[in-house]
Amino acid sequence: MALSKAERCRELAQLVGIPLIEAEVAEVAERFESLIRELERLTQLDLAQIQPVLVFPEEEMPS
Amino acid sequence: MTRDDIPWLSAAETATAIKTKQVSPVEVMQAYLARIERLDEQLHAYITVLRDEALAAARQAEQTVLRGGNLGPLFGVPVAVKDQFWTKGILTTNGSRVYRDFVPQADATVITRLHQAGTILLGKLNLSELAMGGTEDPPWGIPRNPWDLERTPGESSSGSGVALAAHLCAASVGEDTGGSGRGPASYCSAVGLRPTFTRVSRYGMTPMCWYLDTAAPMTKTVQDCALILGAIAGHDPRDPFTSRRPVPDYTARFGRDLRGVRVGLIRELYEDAGMHPEVKQAIHNALDVLRQQGAEVREVSIPLVALAGAIFVGVADTEGAGARDDILRTCAAELDRASRTRLQAAALVPAKVYNRALKARVLLRQQFLEVLHQVDVLVSATAPAPPPKHTALTAPFTNADDVRSRFFFRRAYTGCYALTALPAISLPGGFTTDNLPIGLQLGAGPFAEELLLGVAYAYEQATPWHTRRAPGAEG
Repeated sequence: MALSKAERCRELAQLVGIPLIEAEVAEVAERFESLIRELERLTQLDLAQIQPVLVFPEEEMPS
Repeated sequence: MTRDDIPWLSAAETATAIKTKQVSPVEVMQAYLARIERLDEQLHAYITVLRDEALAAARQAEQTVLRGGNLGPLFGVPVAVKDQFWTKGILTTNGSRVYRDFVPQADATVITRLHQAGTILLGKLNLSELAMGGTEDPPWGIPRNPWDLERTPGESSSGSGVALAAHLCAASVGEDTGGSGRGPASYCSAVGLRPTFTRVSRYGMTPMCWYLDTAAPMTKTVQDCALILGAIAGHDPRDPFTSRRPVPDYTARFGRDLRGVRVGLIRELYEDAGMHPEVKQAIHNALDVLRQQGAEVREVSIPLVALAGAIFVGVADTEGAGARDDILRTCAAELDRASRTRLQAAALVPAKVYNRALKARVLLRQQFLEVLHQVDVLVSATAPAPPPKHTALTAPFTNADDVRSRFFFRRAYTGCYALTALPAISLPGGFTTDNLPIGLQLGAGPFAEELLLGVAYAYEQATPWHTRRAPGAEG
């Protein structure tokens, strides 16, 4: 049986060790769903050959 | 010059007035302290005013002036910083109840360098909780925009924007994760610079996002911005990511026209259907000013900008949750409700999704650098609309499109430079018919701050916007 948004949120939070306030679970779940929905748009990009970096190496621009 | 005139001077003008003994550092400090006392109860720019310490430092500076000697271009200037920078022995709240008793044992490198430049620390400025933005109940009061007290001064370096617009400090250093310096500069008709990531040390600047945060000079004029950047930039062994490049004279291009400078208008931002018509007109007018100065203006396309807001939130919020893991695990209840639920949601984002955002960030940078081989400077609005009312910030979202527009896409304007680690500046670009500020944003290639500031200076000198006074500053 599929989990509800709130149940999925509770489960993930437990997994990462983040206690949630019960009265706010619905809001956290809504924010999470909204974030994931927006980030799903990135699946349309061809990123297969790209390595993620945290800090870009220094480079010169032509003057 | 009377005491009432002093706070209306720029930082550079203040230092000159001190150097030429038109005013003393003590008179300068007293003038600012008097304004803070008169206006800040309503504006909430400051969290901590260092009245006694600042006056003592000003008296010392006065002795230095009397002894003569080589005083730097910022000597004696009262500076206030976002309360995200550690100050030895002085409360540093990060805008959060979690840090209400935090007194660092060391100064941030930015603080040390401001001191070495001869500035005097006047106080610590209000900010959104943990430099995130979106705080519903700020513990040190809601910062009010001096251009309209019912409107936001922008986030998260809100106190810096307010203090500059109300002339409650001569210059400030805020912090810019994705627009936290440029946004308040735009909404408060001030100047805000995000330097190239690695240009300024992050040591002692409480992190919001490890790989996006930069210190951000925020000032009344472009010249002040160049001077502050010159004072704080440079390698710091305590921040291993800082560049070893020499720090140039950031005022070197001042006074030159823009012949030979290629300017690109970012189409994806200019054609944003949600952009306020008066903001669009202001950008159109700004391009005319740049052309009159000799710049060659063309339109450029950076397609991935359309997704920059989503990429930014995917990277910034997820890293922010990581940087705040200790708080989320142990004392989340002390956070503002909006900060808490936003961080908690971001903490749940799977690594695969975060990695995808990081990869998209690299692709976005590639697109920016390709365009920056065709033009030298990029132009857009800093924000698609003038400052909204405080109440609009916390209004519930109505549907998915509303979320996309209000939460994600608006972050594309400033977030794209954060993601690409490129320098960008916001400066006064006009006003709406309701006398609300409009910010003009210029961006450039890695470490091209000298060019960026030169173009910004040429624009500023050709326009009157930086001379207009906010109604809330008149007191």
